[in-house]
Amino acid sequence: MSTVAKTNPGSALAPGKKKGFWFTLGKQWQLMIMSVPMLLYVLLFNYGPLWGWLTAFQDYQPKKGLAGSPWVGLDNFKFLFGREDFLLAIRNTLAMSVINLVFGTVSAVLLAVLLNEVRNRSFKRTVQTVTYLPHFLSMVIVVSMAQNIFASNGSVNAVLMALGLVKEPVFFLGKGEYFWWLVGVINVWKEVGWNTIIYIAAMTSIDPCLYEAAAIDGAGRFQRILHVTLPGIKSTFMVLLIMNIGHLMEAGFEIQYLLRSGLTMKYSDTIDVFALIYSFGSSKPHYAYGTAAGMFKSVVGIILLFGANKIAKALDEDTLI
Amino acid sequence: MKKFLAILLAAMMLLAMIPAAVAEETPEPWTVTVFRGDPGDQPTDDNKIYKMIEEQFGIKFEFEFLAGNLDETLGLKIADEVYPDLFDGGNSAETLENAGVLIDLLPYISEEKTPNLYKHIYTDDRIKQLTNEDGELFIIPNYGINYNDQIQNYCNGPAFFIQKQVIAWNNYQVPTTLNEYFDLIERFLAENPTTADGTPYQGFAILCEGWRHFCLINPVQHLMGRPNDGEVMIDVTTPEYKTETFIDKPYAKAYYAKLNEEFHKGLISKDTFVMNYDQYIAALSNGTVLGMFDQTWDFGTATQSLETSNMYANTYLALPLVYDPEYVDGKTIEEHYLNGSVMNKDRGFGISTSCKDPERLVQLMEALLSDEWQTILQWGIEGEDYTVDENGRMLKTREQYMNRSDAQWKRANMATAIWESMPKKQGTMDNGNAWDPANQPEIYFDQMSDYDKEFLSAAGKKTPAEFFNPPIELAPYGEAWQIDKAPIDIDYNDFLAIQDRWLPTIITCDPAELDANWDAFVAEITPSAQVYTDFMQAEVLKLVEAATN
Amino acid sequence: MTTATVNTKKRKKRRDIAFPIVNTIILCLLMFITLFPVLNTLAYSFNDGMDAVKGNIGIWPRVFSTDAYKELLQDSAVYQAFWISLSKTVITTLTNLFFTSMLAFALSRKEYVLRKFITTVMVLTMYVNAGLIPNYLLISSTLKLSRSYWVYIVPTMFSCFNMIVIRTYINGLPDALVESAHIDGAGDLRAFFQIILPLCLPVMATVALFVAVGSWNSWFDTYLYNGSKKDLYTLQYLLRMKLATTQNSSNAANATADALASSSKVAPITIRSAISVVSAVPILVVYPFLQKYFVTGMALGSVKG
Repeated sequence: MSTVAKTNPGSALAPGKKKGFWFTLGKQWQLMIMSVPMLLYVLLFNYGPLWGWLTAFQDYQPKKGLAGSPWVGLDNFKFLFGREDFLLAIRNTLAMSVINLVFGTVSAVLLAVLLNEVRNRSFKRTVQTVTYLPHFLSMVIVVSMAQNIFASNGSVNAVLMALGLVKEPVFFLGKGEYFWWLVGVINVWKEVGWNTIIYIAAMTSIDPCLYEAAAIDGAGRFQRILHVTLPGIKSTFMVLLIMNIGHLMEAGFEIQYLLRSGLTMKYSDTIDVFALIYSFGSSKPHYAYGTAAGMFKSVVGIILLFGANKIAKALDEDTLI
Repeated sequence: MKKFLAILLAAMMLLAMIPAAVAEETPEPWTVTVFRGDPGDQPTDDNKIYKMIEEQFGIKFEFEFLAGNLDETLGLKIADEVYPDLFDGGNSAETLENAGVLIDLLPYISEEKTPNLYKHIYTDDRIKQLTNEDGELFIIPNYGINYNDQIQNYCNGPAFFIQKQVIAWNNYQVPTTLNEYFDLIERFLAENPTTADGTPYQGFAILCEGWRHFCLINPVQHLMGRPNDGEVMIDVTTPEYKTETFIDKPYAKAYYAKLNEEFHKGLISKDTFVMNYDQYIAALSNGTVLGMFDQTWDFGTATQSLETSNMYANTYLALPLVYDPEYVDGKTIEEHYLNGSVMNKDRGFGISTSCKDPERLVQLMEALLSDEWQTILQWGIEGEDYTVDENGRMLKTREQYMNRSDAQWKRANMATAIWESMPKKQGTMDNGNAWDPANQPEIYFDQMSDYDKEFLSAAGKKTPAEFFNPPIELAPYGEAWQIDKAPIDIDYNDFLAIQDRWLPTIITCDPAELDANWDAFVAEITPSAQVYTDFMQAEVLKLVEAATN
Repeated sequence: MTTATVNTKKRKKRRDIAFPIVNTIILCLLMFITLFPVLNTLAYSFNDGMDAVKGNIGIWPRVFSTDAYKELLQDSAVYQAFWISLSKTVITTLTNLFFTSMLAFALSRKEYVLRKFITTVMVLTMYVNAGLIPNYLLISSTLKLSRSYWVYIVPTMFSCFNMIVIRTYINGLPDALVESAHIDGAGDLRAFFQIILPLCLPVMATVALFVAVGSWNSWFDTYLYNGSKKDLYTLQYLLRMKLATTQNSSNAANATADALASSSKVAPITIRSAISVVSAVPILVVYPFLQKYFVTGMALGSVKG
């Protein structure tokens, strides 16, 4: 906050050291009107239910509730970390979310830049509309299509064989090693257009004069992209990046659940799949395992988030918080 | 003006009197909240059966159906303060019982007050199997209680399947053992490698997706001559009902080694292990899969699709295969795929602790179990939905029969949601008609295609069920797959997951590595298999004891 | 001018021609790849159910049929559900935009003393999740919002992700805008509504799109809280229910011989495809109106004017 005072010395609303915190706050009543109601709102709707985390230390039974369920200390966590499949799930989650983050971000930025270079407006709109449509398809449909395309007799293998790149069909769906990459590819296919929207919106705030100035300086197209377009979306990029780093423990479960098979199980199950199977997989559900896994995810996510935020700050980049 | 007021006043008085007059005849109106653990359509507001129920009993229903994950939904419902009056937990109803959401129904059931229900659950000592250790009964089974003769026209459960054209090609000679079955497929394939349009046939498909992995992991018990006990084999000839997992035994290795052999002969494709359910149904519907192990209901869509496109020769015949003597020390195994009628225990409506008048709901169940109401619920209204001929046989025209599979018609004319989960009569009525119209022989044969009729007569059978031995007597423990595995669920999950992971590898591996792979599989599965075996053995004995004492 | 510079200029020119061509080719290829699943879904949705289960349909129906849409839409409940969906989408989008953008502005003001605290509290909402049961109990038992229309509005008034998106955009605008407003004697409320908000149209359009799509396509809230209230069903819930029923009846373990004689014309695969189409249509209708806000340079152009 100290830098703020430096950049904004003349403002009457800047927190003056002499006047004190409460005085400044009183002066900022309009900003409070705009923010405090939402603060109360999230305290109720997002933080209120957090009593549920206590159940991670219980053998929770919904009928008995929080008060009636027996306390078990750290047993649920001990159980999770004693399971080989949970440790595998952490590995798989991190692997898939890193792949998703890299693929997803690079493809979205790339597409946004390419679209930005299109001068023909109706072509641009058509591309935009077409590429975001797969976002609306249900994951079941998309995965099913991917399973057909990547099957031994599917089109990908047909192309690879025709090009002479492989001698016999690659068993994409049955080899655990391919699973993570397949998930990455399917996610990009489905979401690339949709992920672009946010960058396209960010590009609207780039001053056209900058492009003109760059052109006058003799900058070519690539230099203009490099020196005008990309810096123009850098803050959006950074904020999304930090946010997504905090989400590295979330790799989803629907796509993995649909795509997994006995042959790929060791590579497919994420923490969410694990939690789903263990917390609801029997007639005496272990809700607490799910909660414990979720809590673990949250804590790691928050640590990653603050870490990324700190690094960004140290590098003098845009930060989230 | 005065006249108008007078008329208005008179009208108002009349209006006020109507409810009073009605109230005298019908019981106090009550809207019963109902949750069904299966997806379903909301009935129309003027559904004819629900209207009759409302008129007679004063009871209306407010339905809520499953649309998401069942276990997740039940967890939420249990956590809530108020439960639906009639609570059906679908395939996870044990969750409701374990959570104490349901009330014990036995105090409301007696020979005097509820004769129909009493007869339903006390005949043949059924009650012994239905009650839990504390002598309580929460749910009356929605299926599996037969009256008079049980009708079984075809096998709806597990079997090996083969396309009818293959049997026809083999001069209607039907294989009875594993070797004969694969030998027939091999011979057929050698002569007919592709369909008429050039698509290659796949000899044998194995569906492994999710909970449908029973196609992969269940066949061995049947090859050994037992009906469906899930993942264990129980020796009913021994007094201790010796229970063992079969998947880790040498006789199971024989089956997967055979599949390995067929894999290398090209009968089984690698893709079968990563195929999803839609792809499986698509392959079956295209008529390109010659054989598989499955349960008839599991691929109903494919059968329907084949029939719609007039590909009857590609529809499937269910076969009760057993091991050849060479696999089991020269013993000849007799098949027992068809089992005695199994009560669908712990499936159906329970009454929740939130219900303000359980007595009245039990009375409703009782009334709906009467012959009159069972006829209405299963057959409909005489004259509208069925006719009775001079011999007292109940008949449906083709249109009347087809209505039953028209979702829109059902919303207005059948009380499906209530009927599915209520106790019901199956088998035959006292007058010889089938309780289920689909089982009425006249109707069953009427809807059978000409191809099937000719096929059956060429094979010398009257019904598809005749390819099987008659059902054996149900073991006192019922069918072991019904046992709730909640107490050992973690080990049970492991037990299943290890099979999911290893069996495809074993089937596809180099024959030289088969032994090593099998040994590694057995080593990995032994701990969880042991826990599971011990648990199941104890549970089976408990059930046997309860049923025989 | 040396020949070398002429050459580079020529090369540059050639590159300037080459780039749009390459770009167009890449984008066309991408369109082809992303259009395929969409057309394929469309083809399935307009195909006869019993034929569709055979698979292998490309981008054109093999046996044309509108049965899937009839099955989904002939229900009289669809109209009521459509209005519920439409109204709740509009209300949610407006309330969400209002509260979210206002908060985004407040948190973009560097002098605001509560900025860091509130931002942190807000951001963390994206990473903490208490689990299904506590959330359910809050809304159902504590706030008694179940079995009412309010359950569609109240719990969805705010989204942190969208707030961050708007805040980042506001941060990109020149600080001088607000400062000069302050000098002119305008408070923060006026500065926001009169100066900043009009400049935020592109990002507001983006967020409106996100919120509207999310609201239109949600079914879980109806399922959790209004499953027994027929009058409050949303369109997506109704569609979802149809899909679940079709799937269930096509593989029910208790299916009697009915399955063998069924005259069903729809299959889960056609219903699922038709639902995807139905959920994409409203956005196809709305998007062109939003698209005009996604034009480079518009925002700052108006600042200068």
